[in-house]
Amino acid sequence: MLPCSWGLWRSAIHTLKTFSRASPSARGLCIPTRAVCDAETIFALSSGHGRCGVAVVRVSGPASSMVLRNMAGLTQALPPPRTALLRRITDPQSKELLDRGLVLWFKGPHSFTGEDSAEFHIHGGPAVITAVLQALGSLEGVRPAEAGEFTRRAFHAGKLGLTEVEGLGDLIHAETEAQRRQALRQMDGELGRLYQDWSYRLKRCLAHVEAFIDFSEDELIEDGVLNQVDSSVRQLETEIERHLKDERRGERLRTGVQVVIAGATNAGKSSLLNTLCQRPAAIVSPIAGTTRDIVETSLDIGGFPVLLSDTAGLRDSSDSVEREGVRRARQRVEQADLTLVVVDSTQLPPDPQLVAAFLQEHLSTVLPSPEAGMTAASDRVLLVLNKSDLVPEEQRERTEGELRERPGLPPACFLSCSTSTGLEDFLTVLQSRVKTLCGDPLSGAPSLTQARHRAHLQQSVQALNQYHQYRDQDLALAAEGVRLALTHLGRITGRVGAEEILDIIFRDFCIGK
Amino acid sequence: MLAQKLHLLRHNVLSFVSSRTGSDLTRRQYDVIVVGGGHAGTEAAAAAARLGAETLLITQKIMTIGALSCNPSLGGVGKGQLVREVDALDGLCGRAGDSAGVHFSILNRSKGPAVWGPRAQLDRERYRQFIQSELLSTPRLTVLEGSVDELLVSQPNPEEPGHHRVTGIRLVDGSHPILSSSVVLTTGTFLSGSLFMGQTTSPGGRMGDAQSCAGLSYTLKETLGLRVGRLRTGTPPRIVKESVDLSLAQLQAPDKQPTPFSFLNTHTRCKPEEQLPCYLTHTTPGVERVVRESVHLNCHIQQDAKGPRYCPSIESRVLRFPGRRHQVWLEPEGLTSDLLYPQGLSMTMPPELQLRLLREIPALHRAEIRTPGYGVQYDFVCPTQLTPSLQVKSTQGLFLAGQINGTTGYEEAAAQGLWAGVNAGRTALSLPPMALSRTQSYIGVLIDDLVGRGVTEPYRMFTSRAEFRTYLRPDNADLRLTPRGFEEVGCVTLRRYKKAVSVRDGLQEALMALQSVALSSTRWREKLGNISLSENKSTTLNGLDLLQYKDVSFEMLASAFPECLSQYFEYSQRLKIEAVYRPHCEKQSREMERIRSEESLSLPSDMDYLSLPVSLSQEVREILDRVRPNTLGAATRLPGMTPAGIIHLLNYVLRTGQRNRHTEHRNRSSQKEGEKGQLCASNIPISQ
Repeated sequence: MLPCSWGLWRSAIHTLKTFSRASPSARGLCIPTRAVCDAETIFALSSGHGRCGVAVVRVSGPASSMVLRNMAGLTQALPPPRTALLRRITDPQSKELLDRGLVLWFKGPHSFTGEDSAEFHIHGGPAVITAVLQALGSLEGVRPAEAGEFTRRAFHAGKLGLTEVEGLGDLIHAETEAQRRQALRQMDGELGRLYQDWSYRLKRCLAHVEAFIDFSEDELIEDGVLNQVDSSVRQLETEIERHLKDERRGERLRTGVQVVIAGATNAGKSSLLNTLCQRPAAIVSPIAGTTRDIVETSLDIGGFPVLLSDTAGLRDSSDSVEREGVRRARQRVEQADLTLVVVDSTQLPPDPQLVAAFLQEHLSTVLPSPEAGMTAASDRVLLVLNKSDLVPEEQRERTEGELRERPGLPPACFLSCSTSTGLEDFLTVLQSRVKTLCGDPLSGAPSLTQARHRAHLQQSVQALNQYHQYRDQDLALAAEGVRLALTHLGRITGRVGAEEILDIIFRDFCIGK
Repeated sequence: MLAQKLHLLRHNVLSFVSSRTGSDLTRRQYDVIVVGGGHAGTEAAAAAARLGAETLLITQKIMTIGALSCNPSLGGVGKGQLVREVDALDGLCGRAGDSAGVHFSILNRSKGPAVWGPRAQLDRERYRQFIQSELLSTPRLTVLEGSVDELLVSQPNPEEPGHHRVTGIRLVDGSHPILSSSVVLTTGTFLSGSLFMGQTTSPGGRMGDAQSCAGLSYTLKETLGLRVGRLRTGTPPRIVKESVDLSLAQLQAPDKQPTPFSFLNTHTRCKPEEQLPCYLTHTTPGVERVVRESVHLNCHIQQDAKGPRYCPSIESRVLRFPGRRHQVWLEPEGLTSDLLYPQGLSMTMPPELQLRLLREIPALHRAEIRTPGYGVQYDFVCPTQLTPSLQVKSTQGLFLAGQINGTTGYEEAAAQGLWAGVNAGRTALSLPPMALSRTQSYIGVLIDDLVGRGVTEPYRMFTSRAEFRTYLRPDNADLRLTPRGFEEVGCVTLRRYKKAVSVRDGLQEALMALQSVALSSTRWREKLGNISLSENKSTTLNGLDLLQYKDVSFEMLASAFPECLSQYFEYSQRLKIEAVYRPHCEKQSREMERIRSEESLSLPSDMDYLSLPVSLSQEVREILDRVRPNTLGAATRLPGMTPAGIIHLLNYVLRTGQRNRHTEHRNRSSQKEGEKGQLCASNIPISQ
């Protein structure tokens, strides 16, 4: 599950009177009395993904005016609020021209979030979007927004009424779902393993520093422990820095809506892939279990980029190669934006009244468990009843009538891949689904997540510097550096709690006093 | 008559003071009753009385009030921070430590002031005497010897959450009930406790004391339906000092100048030159052999109750990390005691084998045992059933503190005791309960960890548990806690408050004075001699910036600007620490504010999550229903909780809260109370 990291509730909430509310006088010595409105500045791609002419990147927070000045070359005054201005948009560091586009300035509180905000309307190509997002991420005090953060800030600023808040939960849920799938996609593979490995090593470093702080006075924990940490931290720094400098940025990230074809063996999944891409991309044979690995192909459906994957038929197999294929198939379904579940219509019960229950049961074997957020009723599943030409016409019509608007079941389309009957209707349904998915700003926009990763990695390296800086002067502050680095890395790989660190301490050291 | 059955301490000690002398003997109604006279109980009773509540402390044996049942020491890394905080809230243990200490040292001296660990070896006798005389001179506090048989429980106050309300206690001797508005239970290891030595097992919580608490266990488990778990701990044999060859051990000297625990003390009772040393020695392969040979004779070690990973018996250390040398500290038990305490040798094997084991260590080759070591297994109440004020969620007025909540250690017990006493007192005086934030104190971290996450092994404080360690320092505990302890909580006496305020103002002035002296870095180099400054020559630095540098001390600055700085000499160490940590604490302030605001939104404990009319998934409902988080902050930390769920929850509480605020306002304005418009969400009954 995702860690819930939340912004400030304070303005919206009547506060419980706790002892914890520091009085200004008591805090004066250490914690600045300055109000906490100096929130960080966030940015995100706000327009939908897909083939669009114009993309909108939104910036919100106190540094918004700085961002405008730096990236739109506005050395003098800012433009009047809410007025579009055509500017050259450049990289703040290299001054390289990124795009020519419209910029807008919104002075708080007259903005969506209630904070100072800016918008960049740029050309919609992925290269331009990525370049602008990366340029924004390189500015100090500016970071990519977390899921639903713009909306949340608007909520805290009192910009949303309570009725709108009802919808907010669902909105955040939707965004989070999209992010979860995306994170899964990226964590799968080399990059994921790399981050996990860093996180593990950093955890050990922290555990060893903490052990030295909390126990070395009473226990046999030699100074050598710290020397090991020194070299581990240095090694990590080097690796992360090298990774950040690498222009290829690891593996190529896929773009587009991920559509996955899944189902039992011999239902006609590969035939569907071939039908959709209008070429024999996958081998088709009457032998069950022909497809063993994932077959991918890029498609354009209604103007939107789609990555279509054909997967191995799901069945228990004694063949280890096929078993691996089934594992990959299930994993791919879990990461999918849209799953096409293909069913052999000749296998349907002849009594149309029993079909709904049959399909329900069938879906539960194909789709991941409901905790993963995907249910049969979800709008992320389509049922394809293939081989319709082999079913008597009358039975098909009665079944169709039975399945129409059936709550708890996704839309079902009868289709014959061999005769192409029903293909038009199916394409219409598929196209509208893909379109909806592309309206989801986060699906298939890896550059945004990528920019987020970059920002967290950079902050992680900075924090590790603090370790070296204070290593000999103040170990508490040095440890703080490692903790902070782990927190930033944890934004990518998952939060690390104090208990986890203690577990490592007690595993690696015998603490006896 | 009740009075004849009670053995009041008044018979033994002349200095007994009470606001209602005479009538106390027959008194049967108190504001607060504290059960137990250990570290938690004494702090709880003293805190409740300081708050203004008529308080009764009931203990099995008056003479064991303030006894150190295990190690003769106080403080350490993490634990020392707790002692400083208890002292800042006017608790007893800091001053008792200063009075009883015979060997003072600051641990972690080389690792940065945030993790310094003030620690002292104690004279057991002096510690007990101090605590006892302190309790006896506390107004509104009565001490009674007796065993509690049962808790008296009645219908709850319908205005507040809970299924029961505590109304007092009944003693074992069957006398009249003693009534009270709140009860604090600090029964330590006495809840279904059993003692283990070798193959023998006997009921009890501490060797030499009565067993008791069976009735209390019954009330807690059966009547109140509280979930309990089982934990174990142990204590080492006590060794006759004369029989130890100390020349074969390494001498560990105390600090030359003892640093007192208490903010009120400038020096300790023990003079620097009177301090006693500790000795360090190590286990040998022979020790491991004895352990292995005796496993089959050792019930405690074979049984599967959760023992701690950090204070394990020598048996489990040897079995878990074989082939290693383990440290053994030989600690003095007091100025006049003829015993040594072998820290690190807690064991539960049969006594004759204990002797064999000891004698495998060179310095102990002819050691004699005065009392053998033994193990204890005991019940604890799963602390997730408590609120952050340490009240049992289901039972109004019932508070728990100390080992009964699954913690280990004197300092952890004292900290909880103080806070439970504060809230028991506040409840009795009809004041709203209070919570301590984990951003402000180790006590807050301790309680939040306990009630938010529960325990699986005895909980001990480590500095690594505190997210804001660089702010929660031993040096500034008074500034963090004392002013508010007086102004808001009411557990701090005027004398201490005035002292803390004057320190705060003095430091503030000194910081301003430091900031007022600004020079270019070139000029600073001229003034202070050859110091290395990383800034370029023309950068202007003020005194506070400069003090951040490792090689710069306040004394150096004061000698450069004597006219404006020399008057602050007494604060030189604190100013140096403040200068180094200040920038880091400022960076953390946003995160602190976030946690604090989440902590401040409390979720009613009687919320019916399963039928709440908001959009929550069944899975999330079940998680919430099972854990019943106290605050929104705790809810966000639950594994499995979704961001959307939090938003819905927030929205729901917000709406119902506002509705209730309107009614609250009406009630308030009629009472003409100016309460800043803030209200305690935990007091709001949520109407469906």
